[in-house]
Amino acid sequence: MVKATPIRDLFCMDVLEIAKQDSILVALKQISQSPGPYCMSFGFDLKPLIRSIEKFGLINSPIVTKDTEGRMEVVAGYRRILALKHLQWEDIPCRDLSHLGFAPVELLLFNLHDNLSTRPFNAVEKGMVLSRLDQYISREEVLRDFMPLLDLPCHGHTLEMFLGLEKLEQPIKESLVNRRISFQTAKAFVHMKPESRATLFNWITGVGLNANQQSQFLAYTADISIRDQKEIPELLEEEEILDILNDVNLNNPQKAKRLLNFLKSRRFPLLTRSEKRFREKSTGLGLPDGVSISHPPFFEDPDYRLEIFFKNGKKLREKIDALGKVSGLESLGDPWKEDDV
Amino acid sequence: MISVPHIKKVRVETGARAHPQSTRILNRLKGLPVEEVRPAEEIREGPPGFFNMEKETLRLLSFQGEFLKPCPGTSTYICCGYQILHVGTNCPLDCSYCILQAYFNQTSLRVFVNLENKLEQIGKRIDKDPEKIFRIGTGEFTDSLALEPITGWAEILFPFFAGKKNAVLELKTKTDQVEGLLSSKWRDRIIVSWSLNSPSVASREEQGAPSIKKRLLAARRCQKEGFVLGFHFDPLIVHGDWEEGYMRTLEMMDRYVDPKGIIWTSMGSLRYMPLLKGIIRRRHPRTHILDGEFVPGKDGKMRYFKPIRIEMYRFLGSMLKKWHGGLGIYLCMESDEVWQKGLGWSPGNTGGLSRYLDERVYATFG
Repeated sequence: MVKATPIRDLFCMDVLEIAKQDSILVALKQISQSPGPYCMSFGFDLKPLIRSIEKFGLINSPIVTKDTEGRMEVVAGYRRILALKHLQWEDIPCRDLSHLGFAPVELLLFNLHDNLSTRPFNAVEKGMVLSRLDQYISREEVLRDFMPLLDLPCHGHTLEMFLGLEKLEQPIKESLVNRRISFQTAKAFVHMKPESRATLFNWITGVGLNANQQSQFLAYTADISIRDQKEIPELLEEEEILDILNDVNLNNPQKAKRLLNFLKSRRFPLLTRSEKRFREKSTGLGLPDGVSISHPPFFEDPDYRLEIFFKNGKKLREKIDALGKVSGLESLGDPWKEDDV
Repeated sequence: MISVPHIKKVRVETGARAHPQSTRILNRLKGLPVEEVRPAEEIREGPPGFFNMEKETLRLLSFQGEFLKPCPGTSTYICCGYQILHVGTNCPLDCSYCILQAYFNQTSLRVFVNLENKLEQIGKRIDKDPEKIFRIGTGEFTDSLALEPITGWAEILFPFFAGKKNAVLELKTKTDQVEGLLSSKWRDRIIVSWSLNSPSVASREEQGAPSIKKRLLAARRCQKEGFVLGFHFDPLIVHGDWEEGYMRTLEMMDRYVDPKGIIWTSMGSLRYMPLLKGIIRRRHPRTHILDGEFVPGKDGKMRYFKPIRIEMYRFLGSMLKKWHGGLGIYLCMESDEVWQKGLGWSPGNTGGLSRYLDERVYATFG
């Protein structure tokens, strides 16, 4: 592993030499089918590329080099190779750089810059780029020279997070790219134990939580788990929670709502109890139609709010009169009791 | 050489070395490696990331900003109208709840060596407003005394404040580093304050800080030597048997401190910017300070659900009052309603609380 060499000394390859290489036909079976050490593509849709090659043929040849065992490794053009495989080409025109003596890090940088000029990277791909660079280049240089190229801030914790993203399980990475889980969720997953991550991921995708719900779900489960000293898989195996998941009368949005309400009541027992008492109290008053009372957010302000919908002054007068006759208004107040705390 | 075990290296910014304060500090830290760095140059050692605060490196610099600033406080709760004397940033202690973990994007302990050069300017600011009482503290962005053995801030600041009739200097600390204070001849206009908590919170959550008993023993020494004392129960934290825990601290106060020499005692419940939560979780994975029911306050910070705060203030406030009626109890960043329900009275607004505390200053120092 070479880590301390400055980039300016590394990237001295003669790019013209690459351009001058004629294409040769390489049998597809000779080319490694794994992404290999230079690939930085993830979560892509091959169909447009397949359609393009079908219609116009292969415009740019992939670039390959021989690995230590003599197999052809893809330097640039991994997606093209997969498309050609799909189209059942047997021989592929490639430019072979094996005899030019490039170091792996030079080939990696070549592919990076080739990609940067043509497309944006998704989050997983940024993680792939950074983890590959991390093998050859010092952290300082990765932070200073490469994070900005990827539109990332030059912070160590951001680098760590993207390196962690790349190590996540394949289904999670795919869900991130397909936006079934939010970037914030993926970030939280990076720091979790694999079992907790797997359990939470199954719940999120199983119930189809949206981004806001995902963030609430993760916050509640993490807080309860730490407070009650209970691992997340154990927490989510509790009977009351499993009952929500297995309730055949509920659709996914209903399950999501019920799950989050249940977790909220576990995480914030006094707040939830207070909200419930207030709700029961205000609905029990029998307020006139179009009149409602609400509490301030989290009861932080001292003032409650009365809202009256009316069509005209006459109706307003009627509602005010009816409101004046509601019994029990005086008992409305803070819904907690002294021994609640 | 003074032994300050946590500091292992000194960085001096170009231009800061010429200040006499740098010379004094470097003399006190003889034997430690010293590196000269450019003012904007940030060097981070150890693992990269937000979580390495480099508390073992001391950076000496010439601060170009305002030294005396009003405490940012908040407009949505009642504040005390405090002024911050900006002598340095970051702290060698590592309290799990510390706001500084999210506050500064620069790591290492930073000391502003040009403080002496700015005293004249600060003095003019204070003298310009003779009717106003400047309650000034150095303990907002660092612990006031943790670095005292190497900075000697007392010998710089005490004579300056002794000559100011409309200002007091409050040194807020969790340490017992009082030797520098005790060896100085100055006492007038100086308040030495301790942050207190329950013994179990102190031992679990205030890493690197002396026990409550040691803090109170240091307070007793200061009081015996003629210093006015202050105490701050901030942050109050809900934990198992929290009432009993805070009572134990109060019992120790009773044992070691004469309540008549206390200028004020504040209470504030744990509050934090939402950003801090993740940092606390990462830096202090075993902490339980986040277990409580925190909701967003009107200032955007997370704070305990209101009835919980009221109950804590009601409990500790009544116990403090029972101990002594003249402790100058006040709440930090709370609403009029919480004041009323927690303490049974309210200053009404920030101006009212400022006047209340100014009165305490007049009564104590004249």
